[in-house]
Amino acid sequence: MPLFVAGLSHKNAPVALRELLAVEEDKLRELLHDLQSSDVLREVVVLSTCNRVEVYGVAEAPGEARALAFRSLCRHRGVDLATVEPLLYTHVDADAVRHAFRVSASLDSMMIGEPQILGQVKEAFALAQACEVVGPHLHPLFSQAFSVAKRVRTETEIARHAVSVSFAAVELAKKIFDGLAGRAVLLVGAGKMSELAARHLVEQGAFPIYVANRTWARAQDLARALSGTAVPWDELPTALAAVDIVVTSTGAPDPVITRAAVTRVMHGRRGRPLFFIDIAVPRDVETGVDGLDDVYRYDIDDLKQVVDANLRERAREAQRAETLVEREVGKFLARQGDAEVIPTIVSLRERLEEIRLGEVKKTLARLPDAPPETRAAIEALSSAMVNKILHAPITKLRESSRAGASRTWQEIVHELFGLGRRP
Amino acid sequence: MHANLINAAVIGYIGATGLALAYLVQRQDLVHRLSVLCALAGWAAHTVALIVRSLELGAPPLGSLPDAISVAVWVIVLLEVLIEQRTGLRVLGAFVLPIAVVLGLKATSARPGTLVPALASAWIWIHIALAMVGIAAFVFNFAGAIMYLLQERQLKTKRPGAFYYRLPSLQTLDRLTFRTLALGFPFLTTGLVLGTLWARAAWGSTFTFDPVAVLSFVAWLIYAGTLAGRAAAGWHGRRAAYFSIVGFVTLVLTLGAGLFLPGRHGS
Repeated sequence: MPLFVAGLSHKNAPVALRELLAVEEDKLRELLHDLQSSDVLREVVVLSTCNRVEVYGVAEAPGEARALAFRSLCRHRGVDLATVEPLLYTHVDADAVRHAFRVSASLDSMMIGEPQILGQVKEAFALAQACEVVGPHLHPLFSQAFSVAKRVRTETEIARHAVSVSFAAVELAKKIFDGLAGRAVLLVGAGKMSELAARHLVEQGAFPIYVANRTWARAQDLARALSGTAVPWDELPTALAAVDIVVTSTGAPDPVITRAAVTRVMHGRRGRPLFFIDIAVPRDVETGVDGLDDVYRYDIDDLKQVVDANLRERAREAQRAETLVEREVGKFLARQGDAEVIPTIVSLRERLEEIRLGEVKKTLARLPDAPPETRAAIEALSSAMVNKILHAPITKLRESSRAGASRTWQEIVHELFGLGRRP
Repeated sequence: MHANLINAAVIGYIGATGLALAYLVQRQDLVHRLSVLCALAGWAAHTVALIVRSLELGAPPLGSLPDAISVAVWVIVLLEVLIEQRTGLRVLGAFVLPIAVVLGLKATSARPGTLVPALASAWIWIHIALAMVGIAAFVFNFAGAIMYLLQERQLKTKRPGAFYYRLPSLQTLDRLTFRTLALGFPFLTTGLVLGTLWARAAWGSTFTFDPVAVLSFVAWLIYAGTLAGRAAAGWHGRRAAYFSIVGFVTLVLTLGAGLFLPGRHGS
């Protein structure tokens, strides 16, 4: 019974269409029941997120099942099936398994490695389970998809490197300092961006937080919001000496932190590094500080460059994840395939055994005086022949199941040996 | 017997090095575990080799410089596994094991040697053993310095590359170089003092022009200066790393002099 997935995603369908097709939960329940009661689909899971609408199913005729599923989806949402149809992709058997694994592992996501998709797949599966429309095919598929996703997450760094500027700054701080717990942070300027960066730092244990701003009231507001301390603008140089990380975001037209000021401060620090995260435009920290030892300055463009490098690193890790997925697809098919060809093997064996017994009986009836040795020899001869004949087709069936192409071979075996309709 | 065992040990170390470098590129847990296993297997063979050697000689396996280097390698591999275990610094092997292999290859060529009976005394063995432990510690000091400079370069140029992702923070690396310096220095110092005292007792002169003695004294001065700079002047980071590298190069020259130049330490 073929496994298939049909749907559309951010890769080929515009957001305008995707949002039209997104289905809410109670409608989804209805849809699942409709689909299953149609007899075309044995099992079905519908995944509907803002980036993809996909139907995973088990059906004798995947094409028919896909048409049925999207016809009712479109009818439900008032979309013309003709606009959707050309955008649909369908994957069957091995390709469907691979697709399910890749989607769950966030390899098919718009932002590779984003963590939400796994939760969404889990919800879709749980809903289908609650509606009792999953069975012996989709259940193992999704359980393994979840474990593959977990392995990808832990064994590769696909989701590890920051893809936002503020998180990239936190990661940089961790490559300079030995952990962020107890690192003092100074915010210069009270912008939204610097508040966000400060929150990320606080989450990692940075403490205490100082806020300096030209407007004293705003400094106090932000300090309160971050459980920090407001620092008068004039005391900026003193504050610089005491902190480890400085986040600047003032609207000042000229740098507010000069190389000379930083040089003075560095003398008293005995090698404690100072990290400037300058997200202001125009920049707040003189670029000349780059030449000072133990001073690290990243402006908004530098941070963007780090994010780009992180994205490239994620893409490299995604390559490793693809290899891992491929191995898991192989394992799944082998397990599934063995389970799939066993009924055929059993009926083939039974059929040949039936023929053998019939023929042995006939022969022995014609030889009433045959000594027991002769009878035994006839038994042995016929058994040996049956086993020899069975060997090649059974091997072929097992091999084909591992390659994910067992259906054709099962059909051939059923035809050739007259086993009746395939189970 | 000893030759086979020491060859097996070096093969284990070579395997461990290859896997450690592969881990640096690939970062797969399995590769790292295999690397540690290879290193431990090599180390076990090495341990037996050293025992066999001392039984053959009826003396500590430190009688010739290659043999002494073999002991240094044994200490390096042991420390490597222990430090990785303790600090979780899994990339360390990729930087330290290649050095162990290069030194280990020298050890495979060692013919059994022991000291002229006139020289053999407990003090001389302690002199050699301490010096070797010191060298082992400075291998880590050197590796830490290299890693620090690589990471600092990445952060200063603002172009994160492979090392940015794989190496730990600057502060962690600076601490590693400081601690290994603080560990190696007392060993080197005591080793040198004993050697000097022994020279006076054996030859009647404290200091003749022996290349190994001179060079190791230079290395000692460099390390002493770095340690003093760290303690008194707050040296750290890049400057301390440069000194570590110069110190280590001097140590390597010292060993080279011992192996290839005539003198009291030569064979």
